[in-house]
Amino acid sequence: MPSSALAVSAVALAFGLLTGAAPTEAGDSVVFFGGRLRLGGEVSGTIAPEDEGYFNYTSYQDSSLRLWRFGLAVEVQLAPGTALLAELRSDNLSTPRLYAAYLRLRPWSHRNLDVQAGLVPPVFGAYPRRRYAYDNPLPSQPLAYQYLTALRADAVPHGAEELVGQRGRGWLVRYASAGEPAPGVPLVSGDRWDTGVQLRLGREPLALHLAVTQGSPSRPRVADDNRGKQLSGRLAWRPSPALSLGVSGARADFLSQDATRALPDARSSWQEALGVDLELSRGHGIVRGELVFCRYRIPTVGETRIEAPLGAWGAFAEVRYKLRPGFSLAARLDHLSFSTLHTSLGRRSWDAPVTRVEVGAGYAIRRQVLLKASWQHNSRDGGRVSSNDLAVGQVSLWF
Amino acid sequence: MVLGRPARLSHAGLGCLLALAAPARGADGTIAGKVEVRRESVAHARPAVADLGMPPPREKPDRGRSVVYLETAPQGAFERPLPQSHARLDQRDEAFAPYVLAIAAGTTVDFPNNDRTYHNVFSLSKTRRFDLGRYPRGESRSVRFDQPGVVRVFCEIHSHMNAFILVFAHRYFATTDSAGRYRIEGVPPGHYTLAVWNDGKLRATRGVSVPEIGGAVEQDFVVE
Repeated sequence: MPSSALAVSAVALAFGLLTGAAPTEAGDSVVFFGGRLRLGGEVSGTIAPEDEGYFNYTSYQDSSLRLWRFGLAVEVQLAPGTALLAELRSDNLSTPRLYAAYLRLRPWSHRNLDVQAGLVPPVFGAYPRRRYAYDNPLPSQPLAYQYLTALRADAVPHGAEELVGQRGRGWLVRYASAGEPAPGVPLVSGDRWDTGVQLRLGREPLALHLAVTQGSPSRPRVADDNRGKQLSGRLAWRPSPALSLGVSGARADFLSQDATRALPDARSSWQEALGVDLELSRGHGIVRGELVFCRYRIPTVGETRIEAPLGAWGAFAEVRYKLRPGFSLAARLDHLSFSTLHTSLGRRSWDAPVTRVEVGAGYAIRRQVLLKASWQHNSRDGGRVSSNDLAVGQVSLWF
Repeated sequence: MVLGRPARLSHAGLGCLLALAAPARGADGTIAGKVEVRRESVAHARPAVADLGMPPPREKPDRGRSVVYLETAPQGAFERPLPQSHARLDQRDEAFAPYVLAIAAGTTVDFPNNDRTYHNVFSLSKTRRFDLGRYPRGESRSVRFDQPGVVRVFCEIHSHMNAFILVFAHRYFATTDSAGRYRIEGVPPGHYTLAVWNDGKLRATRGVSVPEIGGAVEQDFVVE
């Protein structure tokens, strides 16, 4: 079947399930075989004017603010304590791809130990697991999980000068050693999940999550491309219902083998990530914040090495307050900054710092139909477009 | 009259009551019986693909309970004042209890949280929109329901949690017990349409007559 036909079929299926789900009497998921097979889904459409600064792009072609997304989630209960879960997505009528596909096990029913294996949700941070439109108070994604930096995992820069020359051009990074320009990577990908095995030990109020996967925080993978593994973990603590805290860490080989093959000698490359997340809620308000710090060891093709690891900070705080039933206001303050390098022009950050302010409102027409509108201001110390303002609208339906 | 959707209850089940027949006289009677629910109805949460492990154990709501009520009746049957009272919809083990709550208009419902986690009870139903916000174990919030109709209740944090509140403009309704039995007392003599609501839908209606001398009228139902 042609990919476009497949995409249309998947979209039709999602719509069919969505409309079919509407009459369910108690708002449950769509089920088959007595509940052993359960389906859920989300359809969201986000519209905004052209983002000429590429602040919201997740690849060269795709902006997270000009996106129609159809998602279908499946859970199959294979046996007590064993389930198969998957999520299929189509963005802008593209061929549906697997976003998640894994086995969930509880080996001992009386112990708080869970195992998940396959294309699994990330343990790092908090945002990637709540990025669905119905759980995101604003249409956009936080910069640390979406903004494309000047670093590529499939190619290496010639030296510091070349890397700095790509500041603010993460949507299409050109390295002389690479044949074609390609998008850079975000600090932590909020758009793709990694493949491997993860464990959860314990349960609220204290739980430890550990994972061994194929890719890196910036570039999750289905198949390994550098013979390295990512080790990641998160300690989650909820001292009271109002407060949730998390500390995350990850380390992974960063560059692909194709990229390192171009190097004159064997040099290691890695990414380390440290994250802290917090959620505070009470009454009609929620405050969330995350801090993500990444370090990259990047070899260069040329003789001028980048000696110190490249550093990058991402931080955001968001608040949502419900004024009336179904009606809420939200705001997010978001910033990315980068460590500096010595260049012929003096010390400069290896990518351009970015700041984003977004304020918006959400209105639930029905429990499963949510409208959002926001205004977003982006500013960047570099790049072709240094600032822009965007009005964003989003509609999402879920079942 | 068969109601296809619960939302119509407010219009058809309650609104048309006053348009019929003459005032009732004579001794009050009782309508009682049993509702046998044969249909299987189990709560199924959405696939939790983004979770990092098995969900915690949850209370399974009792969807076998039905509400039996008078859908049409002589006008005089509804001229008695409604009692002002309190009812309770509990939150425990990530479920609402009871799953269905039948109340008379003017009743205030308390929503105590008896879970270790936060809950955020809300409804976007036309009958009554409310949002109680997040509050911890040991605390409660209350909502008064003045308008008859069906209110769908959810938790914003736990999407699998849901319940129904049926608000009646009269007092002639009853919720079945664990054995499926119901009993509506103090019904004036006359001919009525008796309706059974179960798990989100009107399932059956049947005509019943309470004689002038009062007494008990038996009416059983099977819901499939």
